[in-house]
Amino acid sequence: MNKNKASLGYDFIKGFIQENPTFSLAVGMCPTLAVTTSLVNGFWMGVAVIFVLTFSNVFVSLLRKVIPDEIRIPVFIILIATPVVIVELVMKAYMPAMYNILGIFVPLIVVNCIIFHRAEAFAYRNPVLNSAMDALGSGMAFTLNLMLIGGIREFLGTGQIAFGSAVFPKVPLFEPAAVMLTPPGGFITLGALMALLNIAVARASKRKKSESQVG
Amino acid sequence: MITVIKKMIGGVPVPGKKELSEKSPIEFAGIPGELVLFMSQHIGAPSVASVKPKDQVKRGQIIAEPGGFVSAALHAPTSGVIKAIEPRYHPVLARMSEAIVLEPDGKHEPAENMSPTASDLDGILPEQIRKLAREAGIVGLGGAAFPTSVKLAPPEDKHIDTYLLNGSECEPYLTADHRVMLEQADKVLFGFRALMKASGVKRGIMCIEDNKPDAIEAIKQAMSSYDGLELAVLSARYPRGGEKQLVHAVLGREVPPPPGLPYDVGVLVSNVGTAYALAEAILTGLPLVERVVTVTGEGVAKPSNFKALLGTPLSYLIERAGGFTGTPGKVILGGPMMGRALKSIDVPVLKGTSGILVLTKEQAVEEPILPCVKCGKCIDACPMGLQPLWISAHAERGLMEEAESFRAMDCIECGCCSYICPAKRPLVQWIKMAKADITSRRKAQR
Amino acid sequence: MEDRLLVTPAPHMKSTKTVQGLMLDVVIALLPAAIAGTILFGFRSLLVILASVASAVASEAIYQKAVKRPVSINDFSAVITGLLLALTLPPDVPVWIPVIGSAFAIVIAKQVFGGLGYNFVNPALAARAFLIAAWPLHMTRDWLNPMTYEALSSATPLVGFNATGQAGLTLTQMLLGQRPGSIGETCILALLLGGLYLIVRDVIDYRIPLGYLGTLALGTWIFGKPGALFQGGALSGVFLGGAFIGAFFMATDYVTSPVTQRGRLYMGIGAGLITLVIRLWGGYPEGVTYAILFMNLVTPLIDNYVIPRYYGSGHDAKARKAAGGETR
Ligand code: SF4
Ligand code: SF4
Repeated sequence: MNKNKASLGYDFIKGFIQENPTFSLAVGMCPTLAVTTSLVNGFWMGVAVIFVLTFSNVFVSLLRKVIPDEIRIPVFIILIATPVVIVELVMKAYMPAMYNILGIFVPLIVVNCIIFHRAEAFAYRNPVLNSAMDALGSGMAFTLNLMLIGGIREFLGTGQIAFGSAVFPKVPLFEPAAVMLTPPGGFITLGALMALLNIAVARASKRKKSESQVG
Repeated sequence: MITVIKKMIGGVPVPGKKELSEKSPIEFAGIPGELVLFMSQHIGAPSVASVKPKDQVKRGQIIAEPGGFVSAALHAPTSGVIKAIEPRYHPVLARMSEAIVLEPDGKHEPAENMSPTASDLDGILPEQIRKLAREAGIVGLGGAAFPTSVKLAPPEDKHIDTYLLNGSECEPYLTADHRVMLEQADKVLFGFRALMKASGVKRGIMCIEDNKPDAIEAIKQAMSSYDGLELAVLSARYPRGGEKQLVHAVLGREVPPPPGLPYDVGVLVSNVGTAYALAEAILTGLPLVERVVTVTGEGVAKPSNFKALLGTPLSYLIERAGGFTGTPGKVILGGPMMGRALKSIDVPVLKGTSGILVLTKEQAVEEPILPCVKCGKCIDACPMGLQPLWISAHAERGLMEEAESFRAMDCIECGCCSYICPAKRPLVQWIKMAKADITSRRKAQR
Repeated sequence: MEDRLLVTPAPHMKSTKTVQGLMLDVVIALLPAAIAGTILFGFRSLLVILASVASAVASEAIYQKAVKRPVSINDFSAVITGLLLALTLPPDVPVWIPVIGSAFAIVIAKQVFGGLGYNFVNPALAARAFLIAAWPLHMTRDWLNPMTYEALSSATPLVGFNATGQAGLTLTQMLLGQRPGSIGETCILALLLGGLYLIVRDVIDYRIPLGYLGTLALGTWIFGKPGALFQGGALSGVFLGGAFIGAFFMATDYVTSPVTQRGRLYMGIGAGLITLVIRLWGGYPEGVTYAILFMNLVTPLIDNYVIPRYYGSGHDAKARKAAGGETR
């Protein structure tokens, strides 16, 4: 029981560092680069992905013994498309402005590699609870990533960060760099963050190694 | 006025440094306390000793027979007693190798059977010259030490029309060939005509770099009395004296890529020193037991040109040249561009040793190697039209097949690329490694 | 004593050329243009130059310290990058622009890829492109009038030239650089002086500037006048805008230009063509930056296909021909 709990926790946590979808697996790059011109965009895109991912992971896991291996991909697509349509319709109805911004990238969640990746690599082989934890972890990490990239780009590109009605005021003397809102800006931010995460992981593992040697 | 030939692919202008020793006449170096004569001092099979320890020998007496078709005989440079036949450190092979050790008795007594074969070329047949070259142990003295008798008998299907005698001596510092041409112009031309006669070639061209005007003058004078000899004066540029470069510059012909040789385009090339040695053998009967060696560099007190007995220790010659000035930094067997740095000067003069170069401590510095900046200077400098930066980059990563596809095997190891590289990359070193690897793999496949 | 003899592989003689020396030559060659820029556009431009160089050198040192690589600022390559970037900036830009630009050039465009020798685009140009995208208004409006140091109200002469084919300047004005423009691009005489110095010193290959400026001049002559062929101002085409500094100092960067002589000629011609197309039919008034950046990216391709003629290749060609003749 204890063990299972620990592994549930691990399944949740691992999405943030070891299997961080954006920075270490580099999956789900289209929405990552395309919609992260602001923090808010990143947030809503992330929420949509969390919902779809949890839904699909749970159902794939539930049905994993029933789905024949040969046709699992089409089955996955159906299991994924269902929540995507739900998200799309809800967004259209309740937040049309955001839907217009995210545009094609909402329906495209159907073929988002994060979702496929988690379904194929995890949910298809693991029990329901673990799969749900995995989905939540990956999804939340993804959301955080998008918000981070979006926040950085929004701040550098416009000089402010707007979240709903709360707006961080413009910093005086700072002239926003328009390039950060363009695709190159997205790539530069992504690359820099990836490099930082790699450095951090390398440092941490080095420290662990030297500690274990001392011990 | 003679027109100076400038034609060359790539190449580099190197500081000549000839002034150190070009004015010193050739002197006999003397008889050292011990001579070391390696069985392998030429290309091909090692010689086979025909004497035993304790044997008394005289100057010019044969002490080792050729060990095969591509091989050379070896003779005693002076009279004395055979002390031992044992492995010694070979400076070119860089490993221990069988050698005959001779202890001179100081009498310098010539062997009885040593006598002139002919006094002019009319009295001697081509086959006789070839036989003599073989019996006298003559090899190319330019450095490669390829047996001359083999060179004089190219395959039947090759039609040879021109013989080039290479007196360009493009390596900086070295002046041995220069002095030989200046002091022994007649003998050089006699030997040249002998080479031509032995190989049945009618047209002979003397090739000299334009930085030796006195030698050019001497050769021109000596030449005026013969027909069929021409003089080609070439601009001083390294590696002017590479045989492929020479054939291209003088005749406008390009030797095919390896295994192509000059005879594939109807040309034979020999070195001035070789012609001189052959002349000596015909005119006096003395086989190849001594050669002219330049001992030079900023690190010796009195840069000189010596006639040294084969097997003379370098330490003896350096002592004769006034010894070191201060602490030596580097001692090089051969010239600075292609010579080999030695870790010890207790090694002997070989048939292919054209010079001993001593650099001072200040000159012998190792510069840090920087990443390639892709300046392309090595490409512009390569006389073979190669791209040294890519060959070496692949070789450095162990990608020998890639290196081969960039024509690594065409490299003549002249060192122009390493010389010119502003990042001081050891390009030719990597290329040599690639060549060695490719050669051994080709052998294994066979 | 003897075991202290140095044993290294041949050759035992090396040319006196060093990377550092070559780079120093480039710095020297850029000085006339920097001085001319300071005279033409005032003290402000000197400030921009100094800020840019300082930032480039500092970025290199800090980055190399941070990643624990040997600090190589004494090879002058960072100085060149800073200097080159500054010379292509409008004179009235705020000082933080060159500072950020140089830091970007050194860290993002050069060091991240492994430092000198491994960058695939010219760092100064990459930074310039970045600055144009980031702060387009500063990069296209902060011009000054030469000698009067007044802010410029109209566009630079190149804009007018592209539209009408008329330079509106005398030849002397163009040679001396008496026109609004980037700090170091206007004084053609100073650039020519530096460029010739580099060619004479065998630092750069004349083929790149020749191919570049030749193509641009020819193209401008043919297409430069709207509505008429063969009536464009060839000289104005190369004297206005950044073609000169680009051809002599940007496109000739060793690392990002082809390694063979023929390849370099192609690079020059290619850059000239792209510049022409951008100027005459593209959306930007000036295309030098993008033209050279594009050719930087094509350089590996050129190096792959344009190889020198090797010694003895005639025999191979003959053999191939013979073999081909037999099969046919
Ligand atoms: S050593 Fe080889 S690769 Fe280098 S320049 Fe000479 S021939 Fe060319
Ligand atoms: S000369 Fe040296 S730095 Fe220049 S391209 Fe060749 S290897 Fe690279």
